[in-house]
Amino acid sequence: MNWFKVITLTAALAANTAFAEVAVIVHPSNAAALDQAEITRLFTGRGATFNNGNKATPLNLSESAPARADFDSKVLGKSSSQMKAYWSKLVFTGKGTPPKELNSDAEMKAAVAADANAIGYIDAATVDATVKVVAKF
Amino acid sequence: MKKLLLATAVAAICSYPVQAEVDISGFASVMGGKLTSGSGVALFGLEPTFLANYPTVGVYEEDWTFKPDSKFGLQMTAELTEGLTATAQLVGRGADDFDAGFEWAYLSYTLNEHWTLQAGKKRLPLYYYSDFFDVSYAYLWIRPPADNYTWQIFNYTGVNAQFNYQLSDWSVSGNIYTGREDDTENKLLSEFFGSEPVREIWKDIVGGVLSLNRDWFDLRLTYMTYQNERYSGGQRVFWDGEDTRRGNFAGLSMNIDYNNWLLLSEVNRLALDGSDFDTYLLSAGYRIQQFTPYVSYADFDSEGEKHNTTSVGVRWDFHNSAAFKFQFDDVNDKGIGNNQVAGDSKAITMGVDLVF
Repeated sequence: MNWFKVITLTAALAANTAFAEVAVIVHPSNAAALDQAEITRLFTGRGATFNNGNKATPLNLSESAPARADFDSKVLGKSSSQMKAYWSKLVFTGKGTPPKELNSDAEMKAAVAADANAIGYIDAATVDATVKVVAKF
Repeated sequence: MKKLLLATAVAAICSYPVQAEVDISGFASVMGGKLTSGSGVALFGLEPTFLANYPTVGVYEEDWTFKPDSKFGLQMTAELTEGLTATAQLVGRGADDFDAGFEWAYLSYTLNEHWTLQAGKKRLPLYYYSDFFDVSYAYLWIRPPADNYTWQIFNYTGVNAQFNYQLSDWSVSGNIYTGREDDTENKLLSEFFGSEPVREIWKDIVGGVLSLNRDWFDLRLTYMTYQNERYSGGQRVFWDGEDTRRGNFAGLSMNIDYNNWLLLSEVNRLALDGSDFDTYLLSAGYRIQQFTPYVSYADFDSEGEKHNTTSVGVRWDFHNSAAFKFQFDDVNDKGIGNNQVAGDSKAITMGVDLVF
């Protein structure tokens, strides 16, 4: 019985992870168009503006947030370790600064809703009207 | 000049405890290793030795040691005003008995989205891995292959302009720099290749780096020219009657990270006073979840000095901020007579790299 529960729960969690979508979000007033390449550019420090010329401030989730690993692998195509190695190279050579990190989807939503230049991401299930979804992965 | 800039950067960081946000980050490596066999060089009375790091004279011998590749670094960055930051990096290396010093100290000013100006003390970005040589977490091996990273000077004090552009799918970045380095007692030349204190000066350094990145492809071109002056035991060194000689360094690096395959390569030439010093490396790795086994070959070739290293190893990313590495190196020293460096050797090294 207990084993059955564990298996069911594990299966449910696995399914959950497989179907969990990451929503890339911006301030509701932001009209910039964004595709995966554009988002990757902003989150790897290779660009600092949206395609309409406005300044972009990327915001990352911390590694403890579940959507972080999904974002790194689905959008950036890297593991979180690879991203850490990538940023280490830039940080310790004075070539770049990684995006600020926030601890939860709620903090991320609040930060993006409060900043017209911000771009972040959360679990798609936690999206509400305070932010605008520009892409889902 | 060097001291003034350093003092300025440190003072800048220290005098803004409230107004400026100071970010502290760091890196560390704890690596131990030993020879499994080695010939040494009878001519110099050198015991079996694996010279793992030329510039800091990091050597493995027959007994276990943790010194050659262990190090720690602390970086402090203070944002002073909009666009202006001061950065200092303190590095302590086992090869120097963990005697920590400021390896980097510079001011950085962001001109616009594309250009940043920097002034102060930095690492000389000669080879692909030169400017993050100490941050082993950021690359595959335990250390960049010693046969390539042989040059005695690795810092400079001066100015640097770096840029970053996007051209359709390509990211184009790089930098242009100028400066000098006056190393009053150069470790490699004084301790390893000689017995007298050697003052090594690289002046009128002018160089540039151009990097092209696209998705899984990375290409880097590097060029640098400098004037060399040297004092050995306080006496000016002359080369063919001249007290100064010019060196021109050029290099090409190509890296591929595709479908978990890693292919790393570098080809470099230093033309110094009519002699060519050629180096190249070729590494391949394959990522299997957290494990990346790799093989590597590196070669140094000049008129007299010739050596190469074959390496196999594995990187295990067992933690989000730390990696365990194990590496076996087989050095083949083909120099004859005085052109030998440290003889043949085989060695194992293992340990942990981390960043915080």
